[in-house]
Amino acid sequence: MSFTVLITYFCLGCVLFPALLLVVLGLSALISLKIRESLVVVLTQWIASLGLVCAFCVLGLMLSSGERFVTIDVGDWVSIEQEQFHFHIRFIFDRLSIPFLILSLVLCLTVATFTRRYLHREPGFNRFFLLYAFFLNGIVLSSVAGTIETLFFGWELVGVSSALLVAFFVDRESPVQNGQRVWGIYRFADSAFLLGALAMHHFTGHGDFAAFVGTEPWPESQSALTANQAFLVGCLLLVAACGKSALVPFSGWLARAMEGPTPSTAIFYGALSIHLGAYLLLRVSPVLESSIGLRVLIVAIGLSTAITGWLISRVGCDVKSVLAYASLTQVGIIVVEIGVGFYYLALIHLVGHACLRTMQLLRAPTLITDYQAIENALGNRLSNQDVAIAGWLPRSVQVSIYRFGYDRGYMDLILDSIFIKSFKNFFLWADRQERRWADFLCGETTQPSKIELHPEEQLALESDSESIIGATSYRKEVQ
Amino acid sequence: MNSNVVSHQSRKAEILACVEHLAHYLPSQGPIQVFVHHNTLHAFESLKFEEAVLRGKEHFGGEPYWSEARYHRESQCGRISHEDLVAEMQLLPSNSIDAEVMPGIRQSKLRMAMLSAPIKEVSASQLDWLVSETLGELPRFLFEQQDATLSPEWHECRENPTKARRLLRDLYEACRYNTEKFSFNAKSINDDTYSRYRRPSELVNHLYGWNLDGLVNELLIRFCAAFLDQGFAGLQLPGRRDGLWLSFLELYTAPFSLLPDWATSLKRALARIQDESLNAIDVLEESLQFFEVTDDTLDEFLTRSAMVLPGWAGVISQLEESGSNATIKVPHGTLLQFLSIRVLLDRLAMEYTCRQQDIDIDYARYRQELRREQELRAIQEKDVGFLVFQVAKRLGLLPEKIRSMAQSDWGALVKEILKFDSLTRRRVLHCAYERNYRVAIFNAIRVHQQHIESASQRPQTPPVYQTIFCIDDREESIRRHLEEVEPQCETFGAAGFFAVAMNYRGVAEAHYRPQCPVNVKPSHYVREEPVFSAVADDEKRSRRRKRVGQFSLLAHAGSRSLLGGAITSILGSFATFPLVARILAPRITSKLRKRVGSIVQPPSTELHLERQASIPGMSFESLGFSHDEMANIVIRLLQDIGLLSGYSKLVAIIGHGSSSLNNPHESAYNCGACCGGRGGANARAFAWMANHPKVRRLISERGLVIPEDVYFIGGYHNTCNDQIQYYDLDRVPASHRSLFRKLESDLHEARRRNAHERCRRFESASLDITLSEALNHVEQRSEDLSQVRPEYNHATNALCLVGSRKWSRGLFLDRRSFLVSYEPSRDDERGTVLERILQAVIPVCGGINLEYYFSTVDPEVYGCGSKLPHNITSLVGVMSGAASDLRPGLSAQMVEIHEPMRLLFVVQSDAKTMRRIIDSNAAINSLVENRWVQLAIFDPKSNEILVYENNQFVTWDQEKVPIPNVKKSQEWYQGHRDPLPCASVVGGMQ
Repeated sequence: MSFTVLITYFCLGCVLFPALLLVVLGLSALISLKIRESLVVVLTQWIASLGLVCAFCVLGLMLSSGERFVTIDVGDWVSIEQEQFHFHIRFIFDRLSIPFLILSLVLCLTVATFTRRYLHREPGFNRFFLLYAFFLNGIVLSSVAGTIETLFFGWELVGVSSALLVAFFVDRESPVQNGQRVWGIYRFADSAFLLGALAMHHFTGHGDFAAFVGTEPWPESQSALTANQAFLVGCLLLVAACGKSALVPFSGWLARAMEGPTPSTAIFYGALSIHLGAYLLLRVSPVLESSIGLRVLIVAIGLSTAITGWLISRVGCDVKSVLAYASLTQVGIIVVEIGVGFYYLALIHLVGHACLRTMQLLRAPTLITDYQAIENALGNRLSNQDVAIAGWLPRSVQVSIYRFGYDRGYMDLILDSIFIKSFKNFFLWADRQERRWADFLCGETTQPSKIELHPEEQLALESDSESIIGATSYRKEVQ
Repeated sequence: MNSNVVSHQSRKAEILACVEHLAHYLPSQGPIQVFVHHNTLHAFESLKFEEAVLRGKEHFGGEPYWSEARYHRESQCGRISHEDLVAEMQLLPSNSIDAEVMPGIRQSKLRMAMLSAPIKEVSASQLDWLVSETLGELPRFLFEQQDATLSPEWHECRENPTKARRLLRDLYEACRYNTEKFSFNAKSINDDTYSRYRRPSELVNHLYGWNLDGLVNELLIRFCAAFLDQGFAGLQLPGRRDGLWLSFLELYTAPFSLLPDWATSLKRALARIQDESLNAIDVLEESLQFFEVTDDTLDEFLTRSAMVLPGWAGVISQLEESGSNATIKVPHGTLLQFLSIRVLLDRLAMEYTCRQQDIDIDYARYRQELRREQELRAIQEKDVGFLVFQVAKRLGLLPEKIRSMAQSDWGALVKEILKFDSLTRRRVLHCAYERNYRVAIFNAIRVHQQHIESASQRPQTPPVYQTIFCIDDREESIRRHLEEVEPQCETFGAAGFFAVAMNYRGVAEAHYRPQCPVNVKPSHYVREEPVFSAVADDEKRSRRRKRVGQFSLLAHAGSRSLLGGAITSILGSFATFPLVARILAPRITSKLRKRVGSIVQPPSTELHLERQASIPGMSFESLGFSHDEMANIVIRLLQDIGLLSGYSKLVAIIGHGSSSLNNPHESAYNCGACCGGRGGANARAFAWMANHPKVRRLISERGLVIPEDVYFIGGYHNTCNDQIQYYDLDRVPASHRSLFRKLESDLHEARRRNAHERCRRFESASLDITLSEALNHVEQRSEDLSQVRPEYNHATNALCLVGSRKWSRGLFLDRRSFLVSYEPSRDDERGTVLERILQAVIPVCGGINLEYYFSTVDPEVYGCGSKLPHNITSLVGVMSGAASDLRPGLSAQMVEIHEPMRLLFVVQSDAKTMRRIIDSNAAINSLVENRWVQLAIFDPKSNEILVYENNQFVTWDQEKVPIPNVKKSQEWYQGHRDPLPCASVVGGMQ
């Protein structure tokens, strides 16, 4: 078999195996077929491992042949010539996508193994793995995307699964609220992404990265855009990256994302999705090269993110948000590195950081034991009694700085008052209108029922209406 | 003017008194490093259990019992019988079971019909929808009911579904018809639930759906976490030393800061407070005026305000107490300041929202509106017709009969049905559930005595060796297995601190921690030290340890900083290897890690137990105990367990603890008698003392002769991975070494079997697992980062046997029983020894049991919910997710197999002694009299059990039902996951 055919098969394998997992888990959920825990895990592990093997084979083949840039064309899915619109699917395997792909697959596999025991007997076990499959597909597609449409597709899958995983514990209020908030910010970032994609189509005629970042293997290629075009497209993509990576001014949602079960928190907000914005910037790095203004902007955002993230994580008291913002600090630095042009350093930093943070978040619940162990080794109590911000500053400035970190840079407050408030008021108004309309149609005041039930029965009530009348139908099992 | 000042002062005093008072209602769990089990509803211990759980519902919103459906599931598995229900229903206060509710139907029949399957309470609108959706389904569940005496028309329905459907619809319509015709008002029955006091913030939440508490909580949680931080945060809250009030003022008046919309006026309000230098209580008083809190609602208002975030308020009140051993304590009065801030913020939120929604602040009107709305709803809420329908079909009433009822009859029927409401039904079901287990245990104990008798006929040989374990329910199985491995051994159970109350510091530990029950304040300090010849070596290793510690601290903090983080994360790829290895193969990785770690492990050690100075203290000379004190300790323990003669050559004394990873609640898995510590050190200290020649001499002077060739050896049992380790083996005399080897190998076999028995409850271990696989499985559990159930801890505890092991030996108790050794024949007339045993055992074991009870019946309110989203905060506790109240209690994963029932004590004693002990100990008295625990006494000679009911001991005289006999425990439990009834394990008899 020739080299090209072989490598094509392996490349397709990287993409298709995760898709297979999604199809199996998704279809079974769709037809309400309850798969056993162990089967779900075995399927996930095997399919993700096959994907990983494919990725390693691609890497091996590329190393042995000296080829550094492989593209796989799946063709146009939609093509409207007169409107110059294509939905073109193409995958790129190069120095950038392969490390990120392998990283994603290794971490996803590890987390799947971790979750097998962590979520054992949890009612949402299958739901978790379904969302996990969505995420896996999203991250694989994003990492090997060769056109902006493909990237957007993966990017959306990641967004949707992340937001749903934040709201994993649907029976409590705050996870759902925070999930919605994350989703809101993601949508905002996505709209900037879409605008960027449109602008690109407009400038170059299609969404192929090659057209605007050049055809040389990453990172040597040259952009085909002019400086102004690059600035415009770059800014839009930068907003998208900011939302996804929680860079300033969107850093507020990161703490709220800590609602899900520990493994999803670890992999999504500690490791993979938070780096996706930085990855996007790396992918379009030739565009950055052609606009100095854009690079200055990126460095500024990166730097302010790093400093804010550092301050927030210094002030924080709960282990998950502290780790999340420590993570953000590093993403900020990575973005600075990208802005300055150290692409390889940024890539190494990204990969190493993702691994480190995953491990730290996975063992976050062991914090108390860790601290005891450190105290025992040092032989005295650890205490932050005397840590001040900078003793030489006036007291009020110290308090202000502390307060800035404590309130997470006020970013949520500012976003709330600028954007969210107006949206919320509009929706509340719509809600009121709907109620009035419904009352008018019913001819009476509608109100939700507030009967108090035992929590267990409440669940049964929601899941299985028949059980209310069918007195002895005990289909709702605890397990 | 003067009187005004006086009233002002008295108001303040009143507020202070209220705060003092409400602190009792808060959860009494301190920082999570030391987890001590206690009764969740300790605030209501002076009330009867059944009343207290209702008060708990009112105060905390926690469920008093399992759901009705859950009890019915248990009853389908045979865990509640008809007899149990009948017996418990008779015990309900103020009932008249023989009275006729309607012609031919007595109250008892009606109630039994209501208990035979869950009753559904739904609102009328829900019902309309459901009936139209599912009427076709109705007949199926009709015929599933167990005991309805059906009239002939209903019998026909069995064969004819169409007819059944018609008849049912007819019956349902008849009930609806009557309801409308007589318009019976449901609210007149359950009036008191609506008159409950509500804080204004709760009031508007009910009325308009404004979640003011949510707004305030978000701000307050963040502040409390920062203020209470025990050393985790990199930067400390400015001005924390000035206390909660001042630091809050300073933080929220900081220049260049923003506030959420609702709290924009906070800065102004605080500035005014600063200007006028008001203190917390002044501001609280102002806010109380704003909320129009009168003197008679003051207590209620403040309590409910604290109850919005009970976890945080509770930990503040715990840290206020001088006794807590937290790193950072808070001054007295902090709870008041916390409340003052809470109420101030409530007020701002209220003002803001009312302004925003353009509604006047008028609490009286809110109350009225709420009342009106509730009355309206009360009628809608419980659809009386449907209730009667459910009962009527169980009673086999026909539609015509319903239709022909007069108003007064219908009213009486409805009233009777409503009176037997869900809470009462659940109470009966719960008591029946407890009774079922109680009956089984009494029967098993009495039936089992025949084996004991026949065993005592055989010639008695002296025991090969003796072992003393903790009374812990988890040690029941390993004792049983050891007795099966070596029938010639004897086992004893004593509280796991083994009478050695000390502050202990291990060789590689930084601080002393108390190793004795919580209520004892130890004055003695004991250190573990390297043996003298290894002191130099130890210094080297401790330097190494220190370096490793400094490095890991650096890595810990560094990975969160700017530059350090960059460096660690660029090297972070290397972290992948250990990460992946630990997750894929936890057991092997941990073995490797231990091997690597051994270069910093301290060398062989000894306990510093002999004191030179006369007064105990922390300096080198005053560490340890005097010989006299040691003798007291040894005598105390041996008297407790009744081991005063008949010694074997080797006595092993084994403490216990547990080790697991990624588990903030690890301390809860350790020995409860050691204050959440590991009991190995106590066992080691006791063995050392009991072996000491001088101590032996002092003991013998006091009349207790331990033969010279008796040797004590200390050990430690890890209940999570079932490892057993022994202490000070170098000192074992040559004459005893072969016997020790035998003990060691027997215990090894016992721990293998123990692990195997434990595995039957773990769903991830297959039911046909072998002994060695089982041991590997439990070892893996304790080393697995992703394991949220390292062990099931005290789950399923239900029983506590106090008395000689002779009569419980060989009884399979399924790891559900605390086993306390006590020998009445060695005790005096008054029962002095029994008294001191029970003084500790009843509150401690009762506390464990009740904490499990409440965390099981309501894991969200009384427990800490699911473990999966737990987030350690400020090193004081866990929150669920990003920001929530602190969650005290046990997690859903810890209690998932627990069966909530009050602990049943079976004490080997007589009624007179027991009576005296109950009467003269207030703590025991309130638990027993108020039925927080169940009590019975047992006399093995007459084989008679007396149950304590309504202040008296009543003979238990049910007929004996045989229980199965098996050779080995394994034969009985193999292949079962669920709880098992008792059996006689003949192989374990002496």
